[in-house]
Amino acid sequence: METLRKNRTRLITLAALAFLFVTALQGMESEDWAITVLRGLSVGAVTFLVAAGLSLILGLMDVLNLAHGELFMVGAYVGWTVYVRPDTFIDVLPPLLLLAAGLALMPWQRALLSRLSLSPQVARLWPWAALAAALATLALTLPRFPLAIWNPDAFAQSPGAFALALDQGTLQMPAAAVFTEIAPIAGILGVLLGGALLGAAIVGLGLRRGGGAPTARLPRRPLLWAAALAAAGVAFYAGNDPLTAALFTMNSTARFFLSMAVATGVGFVLGGLIESTLIRPLYDRPIYQIMLTLGLSFIGVELVRAIWGRPEFTMPKAALFNGTGDGCPAVTLSDLLAHQCSTILLFDGRIRTYNEVFIILVGVIVLVAVWLLLQRTRLGMIIRAGVQDAEMVEALGINVRRVFTLVFALGVALAALGGVLAAPSIGLSNDMGTRLLLLALIALAIGGLTSFPGAAAGAVLVGLLQQFIIKYGQIGINLPFLAEPFKPSPPLVPASTVLLMVIILLILPNGLFGRNE
Amino acid sequence: MLEVQNIHTFIGQFHILEGVSLTVPAGSIVALLGRNGAGKTTTLKSVLGLTPPRAGKIIFNGQEIQGRRSFDIAALGIGFVPEHRAIFRDLSVAENLRIAERRKGDFARKEAFIFSLFPDLQRLIKLSGANLSGGQQQMLAVARALVPDNKLLLIDEPSEGLAPVIIEQMMEAIRQLSAETTVLLVEQNFIVASRLAQHYVIIEEGRSVQHGLMADLVNDKETIHRYLGAA
Repeated sequence: METLRKNRTRLITLAALAFLFVTALQGMESEDWAITVLRGLSVGAVTFLVAAGLSLILGLMDVLNLAHGELFMVGAYVGWTVYVRPDTFIDVLPPLLLLAAGLALMPWQRALLSRLSLSPQVARLWPWAALAAALATLALTLPRFPLAIWNPDAFAQSPGAFALALDQGTLQMPAAAVFTEIAPIAGILGVLLGGALLGAAIVGLGLRRGGGAPTARLPRRPLLWAAALAAAGVAFYAGNDPLTAALFTMNSTARFFLSMAVATGVGFVLGGLIESTLIRPLYDRPIYQIMLTLGLSFIGVELVRAIWGRPEFTMPKAALFNGTGDGCPAVTLSDLLAHQCSTILLFDGRIRTYNEVFIILVGVIVLVAVWLLLQRTRLGMIIRAGVQDAEMVEALGINVRRVFTLVFALGVALAALGGVLAAPSIGLSNDMGTRLLLLALIALAIGGLTSFPGAAAGAVLVGLLQQFIIKYGQIGINLPFLAEPFKPSPPLVPASTVLLMVIILLILPNGLFGRNE
Repeated sequence: MLEVQNIHTFIGQFHILEGVSLTVPAGSIVALLGRNGAGKTTTLKSVLGLTPPRAGKIIFNGQEIQGRRSFDIAALGIGFVPEHRAIFRDLSVAENLRIAERRKGDFARKEAFIFSLFPDLQRLIKLSGANLSGGQQQMLAVARALVPDNKLLLIDEPSEGLAPVIIEQMMEAIRQLSAETTVLLVEQNFIVASRLAQHYVIIEEGRSVQHGLMADLVNDKETIHRYLGAA
């Protein structure tokens, strides 16, 4: 009985797959079937990248991050910007790094300011004065930083035309943006000062509420961080033109991998910031957390609308996945590598290299990498232990809060990677995050909420089912009790995934890999 | 080693500890006695900062540690064996031990000592925490606290729910490990407590009401009856 219950998961997974495959083979050409399976796996891989982070965060911190879909979207838009408009990307770096440099001083400022003994009146007022000064300084300098603006109204700047011109080397390099109303040095120092004042104001407001006793000595590390960030900011400003030129002349494959790396990195930093500033104060208040992450998701959509404007974009595929002409579609691996074909011939059907091969490949790599991280490293051991009992982990002398921040950042980084990965295949839109979050939540419920293999299995099942229903919508399914082949209409696609979830949860209330708690 | 001075701890709205003071001399075993719900477990958790006290002082090795974060306090050299063992089910026995390392190689250094106390664990090393019996879990929980160089162990109810043979084994292990570390022990079973500890502190409704040498308490039938119920 015990072994049966233990293997129940596997039995049911196998049964579901067998059912899917039998129905799939019935009335479907083998090439259609193979392509549908690959498409399902591809959708599953993208869903998995979102679901993996959600499940890790939910398991370790009991936070259901409803903003995860929007972070997926932010990843896509950031990746798109780096890929299509690297000049804007380089232009954005200096002001952000300088602002971060100012804010990085906060721990040092806290140590310094907690030593001052001020009269209550002054202590009450100065943070507000600092805040006003900070905002004034930033308002004067930050918007004047030169920024190559993407103009969605100019047709010549449409992503496709832009990327084509890039690849053919016929692109008119956009004119470099320069400081106009203020001197560059004033802009740089102003943002740095504004950031430092803002940090001081935040520290002051915190101290007023009795945060932190005076510490013995001034910490040196924040100074080093601030110096490093400021230096990086200045370096990016000084090196703006050659960097931009280098990115524009880079081939699109390299630029695409760069945009994947940048989007993942931005996701990591964004996740760390969200956890440490917004989520951390709310660990004891689950309802507030839900409201916070839901609110963040709305803000995310509006922010993307405000920054990128146009509701929908396409992201051109990199050269590595876009070859046509001689030797394409590829039949052998060497053909594929030699001609960088956009399609491969498989069972006489064509599958797309990017959508149906590369995305799945990245999904598998991430799956293996995270699995190794969880099973083979000390951090993974701490995460697995923390999922069960974070308090006991802390009692062993481990800073669990730092692990929380790290895992949140990692989860968001995976979602952002998913976003930029999906962008060339599904395009970019304001609602891509919401749609994917729904899919990921269903996958999570199927897999058992906090189980990492469960998230993977759920995502794959959801992707497969969705693609098979879409395919049957085109070719129709032969049912024994119907004369005509049944063609599922498009609304049945999302409905079918929910139905799968309902069925699985009826049989296994804790999901496929869930644990009885 | 450890000095707790008049701490007050709240859990939510409830005033659980209303003034607990105790002293744990270095190298000794001190038993924390009292009825169910008197505040013994909360006292241990307050020392470790898991339920931080709102008032009072806790001094460990000459440093004031109240108000510090739990991981910081533990890293000073305090090991915790909680009431329900809190073994990590998804981790193997070996991982359950290695996660307690504070410096690389802690486990390798202590391996021989730990397996001499609990020979069974060596045999179970590859098993997952979920598959251990209650007694094995208790041994693992104590062993886990021994992996880093802890100067003080806080052990909560080591004999709870165990068979008499296992209790004997556990007592022998605690006696042996107390040669190396100081122990603050919460124990419902007075026989076990009286055979292990040299000192005692009695807590009654969140207050420490009496303390002294265990040898004196054993003969003081009236006190035992009044505060502990059992004779």
